[in-house]
Amino acid sequence: MIKYFYADTLIHNLDPRVKIIILALISISIFLITNPVILGIIFVALIIFWQVAHLPLKNMATYFKFLMGLFIFLIIVQALLYGGDTILIAPVVPEFVPLIGGIGRITLEGILFGVFVSARVLILVSLLPLVGMTTPVDKLALAISKMGVNYRMSYVITTAINLIPLFQVELAQIMDAQKLRAFQVFEEGRLMEKMKAYPALVVPMVIGAMRRAQLMGVAMDSRAFGAQQYRTYIEDIEMVTRDWVVLIIGSIATIGLVVVNYVW
Amino acid sequence: MSGKKEHIISVEDYSYRYPAAKVNALKEISLQIEKGEFMAIMGSNGAGKTTLCQTLNGIIPLSQGGRWKGQVVVAGQVTHETTVAHLAQEVGVVLQDPESQLFTTKIMHEVAFGPENLNWEVPLIKERVEWALDVVRLKGMEERPPSALSGGQKQRLAIAAALAMQPNVLVLDEPTSQLDPMGTMEVLEVVQELREKYNMTIVIATHKSEEIVKFADRVAVLDDGKLLACDHPRKIFNQIDLIKKAWIRFPQVSELALELAEMDLELGTFPIFLEEMEEALKNLLQGGGKDE
Repeated sequence: MIKYFYADTLIHNLDPRVKIIILALISISIFLITNPVILGIIFVALIIFWQVAHLPLKNMATYFKFLMGLFIFLIIVQALLYGGDTILIAPVVPEFVPLIGGIGRITLEGILFGVFVSARVLILVSLLPLVGMTTPVDKLALAISKMGVNYRMSYVITTAINLIPLFQVELAQIMDAQKLRAFQVFEEGRLMEKMKAYPALVVPMVIGAMRRAQLMGVAMDSRAFGAQQYRTYIEDIEMVTRDWVVLIIGSIATIGLVVVNYVW
Repeated sequence: MSGKKEHIISVEDYSYRYPAAKVNALKEISLQIEKGEFMAIMGSNGAGKTTLCQTLNGIIPLSQGGRWKGQVVVAGQVTHETTVAHLAQEVGVVLQDPESQLFTTKIMHEVAFGPENLNWEVPLIKERVEWALDVVRLKGMEERPPSALSGGQKQRLAIAAALAMQPNVLVLDEPTSQLDPMGTMEVLEVVQELREKYNMTIVIATHKSEEIVKFADRVAVLDDGKLLACDHPRKIFNQIDLIKKAWIRFPQVSELALELAEMDLELGTFPIFLEEMEEALKNLLQGGGKDE
């Protein structure tokens, strides 16, 4: 999902600090932007960046598939609770009943807001791989510590990011093992059957990933991790003109979109 | 005094229990390892091999926690009174699973990780990285990702990562258990070279008797956390009851000798090497020929 994906592209070659700053700016801006058109522009821009970075677009489709349940949940909750004037489905409990009156009412505004919140989540999820998949984890750690974060903390962050692909590997192995024993609930089962089967998938995945993480911790400890207050890096990173140009253009464009949202 | 060899590792009446465990994983172990010695630790699964290996660089008890009695002294330092990071400069550790111990995206970064943590100057780190990769025969692969390596190469890379800090002791916890015979030989040859060229002390936990009889000076046999014996491989593998009790496999040639003995075909010797078996079989066949 966000495992480093090797390619020689502009985005891969950017200083990781530029990517982190732009990631932070876009993440903040999508919560400030209330105009769906502007949000749509950001999403289209992200798809273009994915293309520029040669990242497989099918990954984005996978995220969408995985998050579909969450999106449906968000849309239903917002449709029921957001309120609004355009009532699509009348409330189950009449409005005049005290305290619970109006429950079950679904509004168009609620559905649209649910879609909007889902779009924000999708943008966030599509944004992270643009940093994670284009930056080697050791450079990411170096960038974070160069931004003033203690190197131990920067490794905690990058190792946590690194754990996501580990979870994926574990998940795939467990699913294969289940399939080998003719367990086909996830392919052919009904929703309730799938819900019941999830613990058998998630529990070994978490235990396996924790075991691997613990071994990784032992390996890091054994190589003097945390021995000194400061550490050196065999390869350094340095901001070049290209990085400054992308940083300035990216920052202006993101802030500009927020400004347009409020003046438009 | 001059005849005495220096003990680089001294495990003194050491018992250890993992957090939340009900029984001790190590039970009153006493063991001394000399500088430059090649020590093998053998025993069945759960005998305490990994636990003993992890006591040597302080992972146990410093990182794992738990309760212990006695002490482990490495190069004059009592392990529980120092830090794992400090001990890392004395004891390099290679784990069983090649995947879990490699966590960077370039071979060069993997080897440099330890020296970087010690805050060494970059030119010195580069020098050590080059040396360590040369020793494990991975020079020229600096820019490649560790994931592109074979199992044997990955374990050699893990050895290089430990070597870059120039430790006096190299502890390998079943480094060949996931490798094919070729990968196993690659790793053991590198280890043997380290010992011969650099007088490095080697401690290796393993199940593979064939390889170990060729390289080890002594074999420590563990069973259920207890040290049953520690002696020259020949003396260890001559104790049939001991080997059976500890659930260790004999070298294949020794197994054949036992089978022959059951068939009343006495070799007159108990071979642990293939060459010894060849010689014994030759004698047996020649003797048999004479009888006929």
